Amino acid sequence: MGEGTDIPATRGRLRLAFQLIRALVRHHKRTFFTAVSGAAVFAACTVLSAAVVRLIIDDLINPRFNEGSVETSRVVTVLGVLILVGFVRAAGVVVRRTWAGRTTWRVTETLTTEVIDRLTEQPAPWHRSQSTGDLITRAGVDAEAATAVLGPLPFASGVVVLVGLSSTWLVVTDLPLGLAAVAVFPLLIALNIGYQRRVDHFYNTAQDELGKLSAAVHESFDGVAVVKSFGAESRETERLAVIARRLREARLGAVRLRSTFEALLDGIPTVVNILLLVGGTYRVRAGEMTVGELASFIYLFTLLVFPLRLIGFTLSEVPHSLAGWNRIRDLLDQPVAPDPALTRLVSDDDRVVLSGVRYSHDGERDVLLGVDAVIEGGRTVAVVGATGAGKTTLLHILAGLIAADSGSVSLPPGGARIVFQEPFLLAGSVYDNITLGAEVPPDAVDVALAVAEAQFVHDLPSGLATELGERGVGLSGGQRQRIALARALVRRPAVLLLDDTTSALDPTTEAKVLANLRVALSHTTVVAVASRPSTIALADDVLYLDEGVVVAHGRHDELMQLVPAYRTLIEAFEHDRAELDAQVDGVTAVQP
Amino acid sequence: MTEPISRWSAVETIGRGVRAAPALRTGFGLTLALAMVGAGGRVVIPILVQQAIDRGFPADGVRVDIVTTMAVVAFFVIILATWAQRTAVARLGRRSEEALYALRVRLFEHIHRLSVADHSEERKGALVARVTSDVETLAQFFQWGGLAWLLDGTLMLLVAGVMLAYDWVLAVVAFVVAAPLAYVLRRVQSHLSRAYDKARSRNADVMTQISELVAGAETLRVYDAGPHYAAQVEKASHERSNSFIRAGTIGAFLFPSGEVFSVFTVSAVVSVGLIRGPASGLTAGAMVGFVFLTYRFLEPIAEFTEVLDQTQTAVAGMRRVLGVLEIPVGPPEPEVPVALPPGSLAVTIDRVDFSYRSRGDSDEPPVLVNVSAHIPAGQQVAVVGETGSGKTTLGRLIARLADPSAGTVLVGGVPLTRVSNADLRTRLTVVPQEPFLFEGSIAANLLFAKPKLSMADLERAIDELDLRDWLDTLPDGIETEVGQRGTQLSAGERQLVALIRASLVDPAVLVLDEATSSVDALTEVRLSHALEKLASGRTTIAIAHRLSTAARADRVLVLDHGRLVQDGSHAELVQREGAYARMYDAWVTATSAG
Repeated sequence: MGEGTDIPATRGRLRLAFQLIRALVRHHKRTFFTAVSGAAVFAACTVLSAAVVRLIIDDLINPRFNEGSVETSRVVTVLGVLILVGFVRAAGVVVRRTWAGRTTWRVTETLTTEVIDRLTEQPAPWHRSQSTGDLITRAGVDAEAATAVLGPLPFASGVVVLVGLSSTWLVVTDLPLGLAAVAVFPLLIALNIGYQRRVDHFYNTAQDELGKLSAAVHESFDGVAVVKSFGAESRETERLAVIARRLREARLGAVRLRSTFEALLDGIPTVVNILLLVGGTYRVRAGEMTVGELASFIYLFTLLVFPLRLIGFTLSEVPHSLAGWNRIRDLLDQPVAPDPALTRLVSDDDRVVLSGVRYSHDGERDVLLGVDAVIEGGRTVAVVGATGAGKTTLLHILAGLIAADSGSVSLPPGGARIVFQEPFLLAGSVYDNITLGAEVPPDAVDVALAVAEAQFVHDLPSGLATELGERGVGLSGGQRQRIALARALVRRPAVLLLDDTTSALDPTTEAKVLANLRVALSHTTVVAVASRPSTIALADDVLYLDEGVVVAHGRHDELMQLVPAYRTLIEAFEHDRAELDAQVDGVTAVQP
Repeated sequence: MTEPISRWSAVETIGRGVRAAPALRTGFGLTLALAMVGAGGRVVIPILVQQAIDRGFPADGVRVDIVTTMAVVAFFVIILATWAQRTAVARLGRRSEEALYALRVRLFEHIHRLSVADHSEERKGALVARVTSDVETLAQFFQWGGLAWLLDGTLMLLVAGVMLAYDWVLAVVAFVVAAPLAYVLRRVQSHLSRAYDKARSRNADVMTQISELVAGAETLRVYDAGPHYAAQVEKASHERSNSFIRAGTIGAFLFPSGEVFSVFTVSAVVSVGLIRGPASGLTAGAMVGFVFLTYRFLEPIAEFTEVLDQTQTAVAGMRRVLGVLEIPVGPPEPEVPVALPPGSLAVTIDRVDFSYRSRGDSDEPPVLVNVSAHIPAGQQVAVVGETGSGKTTLGRLIARLADPSAGTVLVGGVPLTRVSNADLRTRLTVVPQEPFLFEGSIAANLLFAKPKLSMADLERAIDELDLRDWLDTLPDGIETEVGQRGTQLSAGERQLVALIRASLVDPAVLVLDEATSSVDALTEVRLSHALEKLASGRTTIAIAHRLSTAARADRVLVLDHGRLVQDGSHAELVQREGAYARMYDAWVTATSAG
């Protein structure tokens, strides 16, 4: 977008356009050239149809109206040719349009696949360094934008053939008149290209403003409660009206340009046609030309007006497609980042061992400053700490989502599976959300659902086959978390990592889930970030983190006694309750 | 949406649309007349060719002078027609852009004034769509379809007229032979729209899946499900391509069918003309003119079928837009407002019922049933209840974001329906559950409450709530950008901004919809401290999700399925059998460390 104005670089643009087109059609050459041949057939038949018009006038109308009669066989032949040429011309259009569509969509598909494959190969840290919206745009909209030029391209190539053939035919039919007519083509093409560039500027501006308007409308309606509670309805309407006015101005700019251009593009060829007629009259008088030839001249010239517009239109798609293509190339040219999951070691026993694990965000903010811990197999460990202590980071390192800057992590064979605090569910069936494409024994899903206390699934309209909306819309936060938990359980990991997973569950359900885990997964090591005292109390051990280091590792009651900072933290968690208790006690004391 | 609207016919919809956007009608007659003159320019050549052949090339020699004279006349006609067409197109474009702008602004204003009840989650998307995509279908229509009606419509009428004037027999032959084209095109068009609908929905599937693949990248990674889902997206992308190719193939037959019909029509016209011969009064020039006119006549038809389709889409869009304008605006302004008394204000809820209307059937249970309570000025009240108990709605009614279906809410003894909106908004403020921040700085968000305040006023409000130390932790202090919907701040920080914003209004009544999201300990301390300061001396109604808030209040109202079931202090209610005691027990278990 916006590149439409750098007119001096026309030659460079043309080269870029050729490179783009070559790169795009690389895998679909035959489809593309079929479309182009269709366009060529169309072009040839367009010129032929002018020749047929000449035959109709010179061989049919003229003999009948000026000489009195015409042979029936002649009529049948000429009209037969007319119909034949019409059919072939129509067939050319069908072939061109069909295969142009094929080319566009097959190339889009190829690009989409390349992008998707690359997105899948890239590990979590790479994804974290990118903007989600931007990646979605590249895989979706940009792939379509890049191929947009392929739609009109075969027709545009056909137009080039058409201009060549028509010029030849016009010149061969009558040299002086032909040359005069052909001289007008460059003028019309230049007019088209110039117009298209200018109008694109307005269209692009309008498109930008429309995007802004739509974002502002979203924001304003989302915040309608705030707008109303501060009585700001008129102010908000005015804010949106300002953007709507800018949209209107951009559109009006396009309207002004377009009205003039549309009129000129109808008017100029007509004026040329009038001149051709006058010039032709002299040629007819001189006996150099028949009336039919003159009429077919004018007829062909009229037919060329619309195709010529296509050239301007196609060229206007080039910057747009180029921008999309460059953004896709950008993504594909980035090398696949190293996978942090592969930096974890596999130990030969069932322990989880962390030694000297350090991690900092962007090399600046230190999060973990050398974590050492040994977690015995089968234990349930609560990771406790204040906000910013590095709990989630520690879990993500164990899960292989990010790599420690230094130090080592070793996990038992069988690996670790993490359940996020905000579970991510996909549109699709509950069953697919649990298996995520993995082949699992049929009863494993039921067992996992039972352990996760997610039997509610069976009460859904179609049970496991119930289709969920995007991001699991239709389920409550707690239900989503239990499905996410079942998703981990069904894989029977050696280590289960829970990032405050049970926080959206009510306390009773949470207690049941934790009890189930203990029974069903007695061999599984559970490492859980927890902030509810009730959750912490259910763990075998507590790993107390503060400012990036393990301050204490032991049983909850021991830590309560021996580590004052830990006790303060837990008391802060319990603060609300303590306050209530005091009041209730007060009441009890007054009313014995 | 309300029912009658969907029953409006296309004509009625267009009529109402023109009334809603009167700019469309202004000077339309002149635009149409200009378009007619403009269309004249496009029949000049066939007429000129006919005239030249009949009068310029008689059998006894070529008359250059006659042809030249006619050409000069034709030239001036073209100049006039070109100007007329340009003017007609510009007028249509300008009028329609003005009309759309006015329509958009009307929609913004109307939607902002709708009751909050009409802004429910499920309808929000629809309202946004009305002002964006539906108005946009109208814009697209005026840019292409409307223009085609204007230019091609007048052209076809004119061409048909000229053909009839030349020779009505040949004209009828041409119309009869060409007529089935209209039918064929409609058939192809309806297949085509269905194919495109399908392709578009496949496209939406692909977009959804891509966004899931990207947004869920970590989940897919840790469960080794990336390749599986990539394969699914690629399959969807393949199906999308197939659908678009199929639609494209159908579309490929649309224009060529016009071509095929023209050659048949021309053949028919020529054959009939040849049979009738000069004896019927037909001339060679008229025959040639007819050939030209036939192509001119059939040229726009294929485009016209697309235009018809676009017109239907635009009418449907207009119908939906008008539907929104038909929704009555939210709490109406009183005709003769009563001023709220100065000083602190009591709140009285008098036998209030509420149900969400405008969802058609009335089988939805009412949200509030016969709720009454008197809250004396300065009292701190907490409203508690399970999700769906109606406590949020009660808060909205007190804030007059909606009116009760029955009963009255009084503030300072004045029924809310008698209070002007401007008066109410300076005396009563709501702090919503998920405070909404606009993209921009913290200062800009604070000024949203009262745009005329100075920086010093903002700073003072921050100090009064003891939030200076918090603000100092932010990178740019009060100028810190909050990001889209405030997402650069944490949930707790957004609430802090909302509290300062509310304090700027200095309201007598504060309606506080407490947040459910968890907040880190330090922010929690700041929040409750700031809240305490803000609430003191004001009548405060807190929609409480945490029992600790209820415990701190002077009085607790317990709602259950829309009914007020308990009313008393925390200490009393805990001792009493009932909903509150049950909630309290569950809560104690949750926070207990065994």
